[in-house]
Amino acid sequence: MKSRMKRIVAGLLALMIAALIWLPCLHLVFARPLSDFRQDPGLSPKARQLAARHLELWTDPVLREQELKKMRASNAEWDFMGRSYLVWSLANMCLRDPVSKPLYLQTMDQIIDETLRLEKEQGMYFFLMGYAKERHYLRQPAQSLFLDSEIALMLASRRMVEEKPEYKPLLTERVNAMVGRFQKNPGMLLESYPDECWMFDHCVALDAIKMADYLDGSNHSALIHDWLAMAKQKLVDRESGLLISSFTTDGVPLDGPEGSTIWMVAHSLQLLDEDFARDQYQRARKELGAITLGFGYAHEWPKSWKGQADVDSGPIIPGFEISAGSSGMAFIGASTFDDGKFLTSLATTLDFAGFPSRTRGRLKYCASNQVGDAALLYATTLGPLWQKVKTGVKP
Amino acid sequence: MIKLFWQRLAVFQRAEFLSARDLLQRAMAISVLFLAAHLAGLHAFTSVLNGTVGSLVVEVKLGTFLAAVYIILYLAFVILVPVLVLAAVILMVGQRCVRTKGNSPVTPRHKILKT
Repeated sequence: MKSRMKRIVAGLLALMIAALIWLPCLHLVFARPLSDFRQDPGLSPKARQLAARHLELWTDPVLREQELKKMRASNAEWDFMGRSYLVWSLANMCLRDPVSKPLYLQTMDQIIDETLRLEKEQGMYFFLMGYAKERHYLRQPAQSLFLDSEIALMLASRRMVEEKPEYKPLLTERVNAMVGRFQKNPGMLLESYPDECWMFDHCVALDAIKMADYLDGSNHSALIHDWLAMAKQKLVDRESGLLISSFTTDGVPLDGPEGSTIWMVAHSLQLLDEDFARDQYQRARKELGAITLGFGYAHEWPKSWKGQADVDSGPIIPGFEISAGSSGMAFIGASTFDDGKFLTSLATTLDFAGFPSRTRGRLKYCASNQVGDAALLYATTLGPLWQKVKTGVKP
Repeated sequence: MIKLFWQRLAVFQRAEFLSARDLLQRAMAISVLFLAAHLAGLHAFTSVLNGTVGSLVVEVKLGTFLAAVYIILYLAFVILVPVLVLAAVILMVGQRCVRTKGNSPVTPRHKILKT
């Protein structure tokens, strides 16, 4: 009996020592150099593998149909956003890898044309979640900034790489429609869903407007300036100093600051107001970003805000309060602001818990989906497009 | 006859709870189960982590269950298996040290007294 107890105690002690040795080392199994995820200049191996998988989806209609069906079963928005992130990624890839530009441009055009066709044939609700139909948009005719902003940025990104005359009037029309609505609305807050406005969509819209100014010689700098001044004054959470995610057309907050929004918002702001963008990133990093035992991740809400898990946050892992949505979007923030330590730790977590699957040089993360992988691809490639607008080098 | 064959293989012999062999047997069992789950393609169902169905053919509830099974086995494989193996090594090293200490040629006290 005594020897049995002795053996059990020794076993438990050995397990404890082993855990103390292994757990701090675990991340080393999955850690890769930063250059594996992101390279400047050029394309990282991960960017090439992720891109190869997406290009395959756009050349194999059966495969694409399967992927989109799976996503649309949960959220029609993801179908649309997957297209947007892929087009924006490919635009950056054209600038990073000019040799493959013809293939990338062809895919971008294919995505843009099909998206515009679907919007025209099925109406804007095709890419919106079901509840968009439950109420009437306050501003008529109904228009969603979610669709207009991302389509405009897709068209502008394509034209930034190489001019396509057919897309010029389409971009101008989209930008004029958004600018007109900004000017008509005294609060400068536009609906994505009925009486529901999103910070994400406003920042993407302003990026598209800024790019259109660059491409076509228009000047909306006063509008951008006024909107940012309004946002700093009215749409910032007092506790964290972070921009809130969603609000009504009167500016009443719906959601507070959220990781699934703020990382992309900080990235978008970089084109509009560099200092404000960096401030937002640093606050988000402090309030939402975390690294434990070498694994990086992000929370959906700061400690000062209590929120409910939803389709944007994804499931929240209790204990560490890890949000899949926020952690995925954190790649974009960390990549934008060259936060190598955080980016490396996020990539370590991705290879640990994302269940990477590689076949014939094509990479997908099983725990992710097409939109998630497209956002990751964007994080591996972003930079050159913004840089081009900021430095003012004409295409 | 077959039973006898397996019993002769030390690794399959029933081990004492929390002994080094017991820990290694558990590590091996987890590894085999994970390998089977991986080869069966259960990793495809892990997309439930972001709220996307893993397969359009399998029912959502079954897909979620298969994803949970895979995730648990994966975590056990990458976290628990190395801990079990390391613990087994620690135990074996510890036992060897104790045994060596027990067999060390120490001069008995009565002999010291005699001299």
